Amino acid sequence: MTDPNAPKTYRLRCTYVEQGRLAMLSHLEVAHTLERTVRRAKLPFAISQGFSPHMKIAFGAALPVGVGSTCEIFDLQLTRYVPPAEALAALQQASVPDLMVQDCRYIEGKAPAASVAFPLSTYEAIFDGSPTAIEAPETVSVVRKRKEKTLVVTDYLVKPFEIEENRATFALRALPTGSLRPDVLLAHCKVDAAVVSITRIAQSEER
Amino acid sequence: MARAERPSRYINHEWGSSSKLDASFRFCMVYPDTYELGQANQAVRILVNVVNAQDGMAAERGFLPAADMCDALRDQGLPMFSIEGCAPLRAFDVIGITLPHELAATNVLEVLDLAGIPVRAGDRTCDDPFVVGGGPCAYNPEPYALFFDAINIGEGEQSLVEGLQLIREAKEQGASRDDIRRALANLEGWYVPLLYRWRNEEEAQAAGSWIEPLEEGLPTTITKRVFDGFAQSPGWEPCIVPFAEAVHDRLNVEILRGCARGCRFCQAGMMYRPVRERTADNIVASVVEGLAQTGYDEVSLTSLSSTDHSQIREILTRLNEVYAGKGVRISIPSQRLDSFGVDMAGLVAGQKKGGLTFAPEAGTQRLRDVINKNVTEEDLFGAVDASFAAGWRRCKLYFMIGLPTETDEDVKGIARLVQQAYDHARAVVPKEQRGSIQIGASVALFVPKAQTPFQWDGQIPPDEALRRVNLLRHSVKYRAVSISWHDPKTSFVEAVMSRGGREASYLVEEAWRRGARFDAWSEHFNEQAWRDAASALAFDVEAAAQTSYPLDYVMPWGHISCGVSTKWLARERDRAERETTTPDCTFGSCSGCGACMRLGLDNELAEPRVGTCQPAETPDSFEGGSAR
Repeated sequence: MTDPNAPKTYRLRCTYVEQGRLAMLSHLEVAHTLERTVRRAKLPFAISQGFSPHMKIAFGAALPVGVGSTCEIFDLQLTRYVPPAEALAALQQASVPDLMVQDCRYIEGKAPAASVAFPLSTYEAIFDGSPTAIEAPETVSVVRKRKEKTLVVTDYLVKPFEIEENRATFALRALPTGSLRPDVLLAHCKVDAAVVSITRIAQSEER
Repeated sequence: MARAERPSRYINHEWGSSSKLDASFRFCMVYPDTYELGQANQAVRILVNVVNAQDGMAAERGFLPAADMCDALRDQGLPMFSIEGCAPLRAFDVIGITLPHELAATNVLEVLDLAGIPVRAGDRTCDDPFVVGGGPCAYNPEPYALFFDAINIGEGEQSLVEGLQLIREAKEQGASRDDIRRALANLEGWYVPLLYRWRNEEEAQAAGSWIEPLEEGLPTTITKRVFDGFAQSPGWEPCIVPFAEAVHDRLNVEILRGCARGCRFCQAGMMYRPVRERTADNIVASVVEGLAQTGYDEVSLTSLSSTDHSQIREILTRLNEVYAGKGVRISIPSQRLDSFGVDMAGLVAGQKKGGLTFAPEAGTQRLRDVINKNVTEEDLFGAVDASFAAGWRRCKLYFMIGLPTETDEDVKGIARLVQQAYDHARAVVPKEQRGSIQIGASVALFVPKAQTPFQWDGQIPPDEALRRVNLLRHSVKYRAVSISWHDPKTSFVEAVMSRGGREASYLVEEAWRRGARFDAWSEHFNEQAWRDAASALAFDVEAAAQTSYPLDYVMPWGHISCGVSTKWLARERDRAERETTTPDCTFGSCSGCGACMRLGLDNELAEPRVGTCQPAETPDSFEGGSAR
């Protein structure tokens, strides 16, 4: 696949927040918005060749609609080196505050894609009161492509709920076969408080 | 919110949205359908910008929530809200609702009701906002007459601002609602239906007008307003970049306004006269600025007929140079067959080749002469040859069924023409790629429109429409050619809204009370509600849609003038009967429609238009049928 004659590109990994009411955006809507942000920022982005040329940008694992994040990732290929601080400033200038890049750094061209590099996600749920306990069910039934599927919660929930006053953190693992959505899991848990918001606060490699 | 279908319709905070919190006078510009349909609407964009540019005035956008959200709001007892400030509509001084097409009428009532505003203008009190309307459907305002305090006829760039200034000053001086309406009625381009009695048919025909002023001194003809600074104004109209996927979600740069081709069925071609072009320098600078500010990767050079722009080749050449290798797509929404040759195919080709659409409208030269389409088979085949040789593989052809004077020969002619187009495509496409050729015809039922030469003509009955479509289907022998047919279920509503008088306004209200809304959405269209409403009011929808009238009959919109004279429309209808075409005055000589004189503005072209299709000769030289 790799063309030895292809011009060298620089791979910029950008970490961004998606918060407030913009947590309501779908993955596709976020992708479109970020592409337009990159264009507004006038970064020297690379363009694919072929029938339908498009920006060389790759997004991390999708965030469910309604879940916010402080640590989303996209990788952008640039045709020339731009100092990370300069790229960050340009991107911020071209962003709305609730969907804004917070960090830019260059990574290896061969580093794994953002969508598979970080299978572990840590979430923080905020409740309208202080829950005494959160009891996860053994299984959760979800409908995928019109088929009902039963997910075993322990396959996904790698770090149990840690409760601190009105907030709880927990970690979910993405499997090659799919993931368990944090909002769906919480909706199936026994908990004596109502969920106000859910935020992805970290993405990391498998331990 | 997360339970709503597509929450991004409602959340605001888009790039380019603004709020002007300190302004004391507040205007909400409403599109009477969902966000994704209305966000890119030109009227909403332009009018929000012009109002925000006024000192002390703020404009926000409003979109009718989707059906699920309308119901959720009602269940919760919440009112409809604006996008920027999330403010209830009732809190605004003025609500403006654009009337983009004939199937949005019940949604106007849905907007008002959801906002907690009495749907009838006559029931509103001093606590209610003023509700003003405008847009294409305002050229026959009567089916909306009950619901608006005032209706703006024509282009709103200047006249909306004047109307709002009038309302603001009058309110500050403590004027009553009636006084403000009266003052608006005397402002050029504004119509206040409440101040006119609606005559019955006999009275109207005898008097030469359906409306009778209830007070002395009110105008009896309301002439549209035109924005006289269009050609000189910048083509970059600041716009919002939505998060949600919306229709026409790209940079839209309006390169020219108006079209004088004079197709006799076309309302837009009559009501946006005279023709005004922005210059190539203006357009190129606008595209560069707009793409930089929005981050879009696509720009559409919009107008009714963009390939008619006198500098279109220069514009495309310059833009292609600027954006070579940048992944930016430059598109033109509608291409005229006769101006789409090899050079144009090359210029709009770019790298992405989606489908092309052309509109021959009718299947035989005879009928194309009747409708004054002024394109020939050779034009179509030339365009197909050029586009398929340049790499396109999909082409859709638009036709109408039920045009005045149509015969079965004309219907069969559609099949013949499409099949011949397919033969042409095959001939220029390499053998191994022929399987990917897609040529289809999309057929719609002719809806007679107000302010056109065909305004006196009735629509054919649904059964007859179906018979003709089946005739067409059976006439197509090629399996590779597809015929798609726009289901005419809503066509009677369109015809009633297009041709109805003030009675239609009661019908709209009754249909809405019986559950009609989102009529343009096939999954929501409630035919029964309309039928029941019609029988409850003894409104003969068939007659309203299907009756043809003599050319001296005064139509229910006779008091509204788009500049083109009724006499000229009648003359054009007569020429149609004689299968005689009339040339486009931007290429040739004046045809005497009256718009320039009446509106005090001439065609403004960036350069002379030359020779793409018609020599500047007298109309009679076209009787042979060839437009070339």
